[in-house]
Amino acid sequence: MTLLEKINHVRDQFKTDLERISDLKSWEELKNTYLGRKGLVSKLFSRIEDVPPQDRKTIGQALNSLKNELQNQVDSLRQALQEKVDESREVDYTLPGFPIFKGSRHPLTQAIDEMLSIFARLGFDIAYGPEVETDWYNFSSLNLPLNHPARDMQDTFYVDEGIMLRTHTSPVQTRYMTQHKPPVRIVAPGRVYRNEAISARSYCMFHQIEGLYVDKNVTFADLRGTLELFSKMYFGSDARIKFRTSYFPFTEPSAEVDVSCFLCNGKGCRVCKNTGWLEILGCGMVDPNVFKAVGYDPEEVSGYAFGLGVDRSVMQKLDIPDIRMLFDNDVEFLKQF
Amino acid sequence: MKVDLNWLQDYVDIDRPLEEIRDLLTEAGLECQIVESGPKVPESVIVGEVLSVENHPNADNLSVCFVNTGEPEPVQIVCGAPNVAAGQKVPVATVGTSLTPEFTLKKAKLRGVISNGMICAEDELGLSEDHSGIMVLDESCEIGKSLNNYLPQTVILDIDLTANRPDCMSHIGVAREVAALTGKPLKIPEITLQETGPDIHSLAQVDVLAADGCPRYTARVIQNVNIGPSPDWLKRRIEAIGLRPVNNVVDASNYVLHETGHPLHTFDYDKLAGHRIVVRYAEEGETFETLDHKERTLSRNVLLICDGKKPVAMAGVMGGLDSEISEDTVNVLIESAYFDPPTIRKGSKQQLLSTDSSKRFERGTDPNANCVYAQNRLASLILELAGGSCAKGMIDVYPKKIEPLSITMRFDRLKKITSLDISPKTCRTIFESLDISVLSMDDQTIHVLAPTFRPDLEREIDLIEEIIRIYGLNKIQANSRLQFSMPETVDSMNPFLNRIREIFMGFGFHEAISNSLVSQDMAKAGIWGYEPVRLMNPLSVDMNFLRTDLIQPLLHDLKLNAARKRQHVRLFEIGRVMEKDPSSETTVREHQNLGVIMCSDMWELHWLQSPAPADFFYGKGMLMRLLDNLGITNISLKTTDFNPNAYHIFMNIMSGKTQIGKIGEYDPEFLNKYQLEYPVVILELKLDEIFKRRKEVFKYKSVSPYPSMTRDISIVVDKNMESETLMKEIYQKGSKFLKDVVVYDQFMDDRKLTPGKKALSYRLWFQSDNRTLEDQDVDRIMEKIFNILIRKYGAQLR
Repeated sequence: MTLLEKINHVRDQFKTDLERISDLKSWEELKNTYLGRKGLVSKLFSRIEDVPPQDRKTIGQALNSLKNELQNQVDSLRQALQEKVDESREVDYTLPGFPIFKGSRHPLTQAIDEMLSIFARLGFDIAYGPEVETDWYNFSSLNLPLNHPARDMQDTFYVDEGIMLRTHTSPVQTRYMTQHKPPVRIVAPGRVYRNEAISARSYCMFHQIEGLYVDKNVTFADLRGTLELFSKMYFGSDARIKFRTSYFPFTEPSAEVDVSCFLCNGKGCRVCKNTGWLEILGCGMVDPNVFKAVGYDPEEVSGYAFGLGVDRSVMQKLDIPDIRMLFDNDVEFLKQF
Repeated sequence: MKVDLNWLQDYVDIDRPLEEIRDLLTEAGLECQIVESGPKVPESVIVGEVLSVENHPNADNLSVCFVNTGEPEPVQIVCGAPNVAAGQKVPVATVGTSLTPEFTLKKAKLRGVISNGMICAEDELGLSEDHSGIMVLDESCEIGKSLNNYLPQTVILDIDLTANRPDCMSHIGVAREVAALTGKPLKIPEITLQETGPDIHSLAQVDVLAADGCPRYTARVIQNVNIGPSPDWLKRRIEAIGLRPVNNVVDASNYVLHETGHPLHTFDYDKLAGHRIVVRYAEEGETFETLDHKERTLSRNVLLICDGKKPVAMAGVMGGLDSEISEDTVNVLIESAYFDPPTIRKGSKQQLLSTDSSKRFERGTDPNANCVYAQNRLASLILELAGGSCAKGMIDVYPKKIEPLSITMRFDRLKKITSLDISPKTCRTIFESLDISVLSMDDQTIHVLAPTFRPDLEREIDLIEEIIRIYGLNKIQANSRLQFSMPETVDSMNPFLNRIREIFMGFGFHEAISNSLVSQDMAKAGIWGYEPVRLMNPLSVDMNFLRTDLIQPLLHDLKLNAARKRQHVRLFEIGRVMEKDPSSETTVREHQNLGVIMCSDMWELHWLQSPAPADFFYGKGMLMRLLDNLGITNISLKTTDFNPNAYHIFMNIMSGKTQIGKIGEYDPEFLNKYQLEYPVVILELKLDEIFKRRKEVFKYKSVSPYPSMTRDISIVVDKNMESETLMKEIYQKGSKFLKDVVVYDQFMDDRKLTPGKKALSYRLWFQSDNRTLEDQDVDRIMEKIFNILIRKYGAQLR
């Protein structure tokens, strides 16, 4: 290949390479490859000594024009690239960022989880039981014998004779006690079912958290202490509680517990219907008949149990007007929490 | 239950604010509310005294009055009523009172005389239709006070009674509680019954053939009564608690029921065939028409009151039409009985008939004192209200007396339960205030007789509850130091479930909770093919089965969201699904699952990237990321013949040989039906299996400090060649230096490739743990990979 042919080859190669340049870094490389001190053009210049003298003028001119040509193109490309960089600095940064989908946890599992973690801090283990239960666990073992009027308090879905959807989480108590020796300190979360007409206020399914502590020398004062601490942890340090005597077949004495309204702190408002108090749970000392059913000696041990309804308290806390919204799973509802 | 405050005060003195009584009762277990009803007028209608009345100078039918309204100066009022007179106490509407929304009283000139208010008639205050003259108030009304203070108000304590306290289903019962809580005596009306008629045994006969259902039956007969309306006081009282007055005998019977809590029944004596009462069980299929004009078909467990020929009442529930007290009744037979609670309960349930009477009998009435007291009380009340004469004596069939229980309470036990030191003396006082008689007592124990009107008192613990609820449940203070024994185990399921929830929240999913009760179609469409569990007594036909998977309920949710035109539905749920399993104790096997449904783009609409639907591979990606996070290994997807809903794609997820879930995508046909914009991807995992296999601790593996090298290969293979097979082969030959392989392109074009072929591109990462790799190291490995792909899989390099 003559030097002239080489000059033309370098020019062609440069044209191809030039098209691939898109940023300043590769421009720098291109410039050094062709126009640097050891670049291709310099190399060509160094070979002029090998050219016969009569051709040196022509070749010299051709080399100079190649050098100028490349220099011009490199300079103008540099300018173009610089403009492009400047331009990119003019991007509208008020445009929204990449949309990452929002995810959320259901308000009920959020609340259940918060409550469980509070009870975990108070030394309770978590126990689970089936949602379909036998009559013995759901009723009889809990001091609710057949034909007991209190069975009417809980409208029951039956799956078979003596087999039902559990109407409360209390059967987990007797299930657990039949399998474990005292001391027992558990909470049991879960779904429960009642055969009640569905409305804004009631649904055929809802959630409870059951609590049970059985040991030597457990008194009502221990129950009160645990529930007071729970209330402070869940509703805030200002929360106060009070007890009202009530009736549950599986505890005696039995009580309903009210907590001072979290919104008005007991002064009376819309949420607490101006009473200053909100009903949060039912509780009591475990009835001796329940201990007898599971083979514990009521003279040896005593204990307390409580059952907390989650759905209603979540509705109060989050101002949800209709219980059905909790189970519709409308994404516009769920994404709020 | 409604208790009229005015009536209640017949039995106990109430000298505290009513709110205090309400709170005391509520704390002691009788949750109650105060409900007031009665007429109200504007507060600015006040009591005035007419000082003088003079004729109006310009009008004959008007008079000018000076009225003392409690202000320093008497008020001049022009009045048109004929009955106005000096010395009267009258209602005065003062200036500014709005008597109707349209009419506000102003200072006015009436025929030239100034009037500063209005003396009102009853109709002007909306109290009645009466416009015959102004309303004249009682002398005792205090001048200047609002008229509202003197309008008759009914105050009701509305009590939500618990099922264990039938004794409080009466005014006397509630009065006993108030007396015990406030330290006042209980005043029970004394009865003096004049028995002037013939011997009862010559008039009637009672045969109890079902003594187990009817342990006691008493009867009295009253002759020659005058049936008529009840006096006003009686009407007012029974109206106050929401009953409708009928006639003096029926009203008296209702009155005694609500006074004593013991239900009674009155028969027209002359309509009782043979003047006989026979108590027996119904025969299967026997029919009887009750007072509510319903013909009832009875089963064998219904207890009947019959006369000499036929049924006359469903015992303890409702009487019959034939023998009811009517205007023509002359002689009355009063029944006061004690029925067995379960018997009444069964009958009432079987007939779906619950009455004031059945509610009390089924919870337990008193077979002893109160049964007889109510009988005598009603007899004397009928004599007082309807005249007549009472037959001598009472028929009393009570073969086996129900004795009161004697119970012992230990004081140390009281303390063990309540933590309180309550003195023996206080305990005695509390028991006696509740009519629980104390038989004996020492330092350790107290021995009492539980009255038969308290069927809830059977054991020591019941007495402890009595003490603490009267003493004050809130006197028990919290232990300032919480103590408890060490728990045996610590749960790890809830943290596991929470981890999954957090991961899906991070994936941009909303957690759903859907109804476990589904329709038959949904239960049968379940992706696991479980035999569904049916409810015996469902709420409705669309909720008569338990769900057998989570996908059907989530699909139901998706349809709701689609109908509401929600964009991007991404839901997950953790919950139980049910399968029929006769070998289980509950006949049901419960599986804890994770369900996922997705109908969305990969990202929301955005200027930077054009939209792309999230399809099966997006779902598979999430699945793999989740399982990786939980440390589940050896995962494979297997196609399956079982495809209950003809999914477009449907695969079993395996961990080793165990199926741990299913993943799929709905057929596009399905999309058309519900107008969904994106593919519907579903995923359901068996969390019980995953829980068993999960890894909670991920141990350290050495991290190489040396740089990695990448190589790309593109190969052409048969279209049906699975990329995963090739991937495994590449790993096999890749030596310990091959750290990662990714498929980054798949190309299928029969015009550019040999027909039936596809091109796959892989990127491979190589790295050594103890040196920087050289090109020739990697070249050697790549050579081996090429060779095996070419030789074993007929691949061509591209």
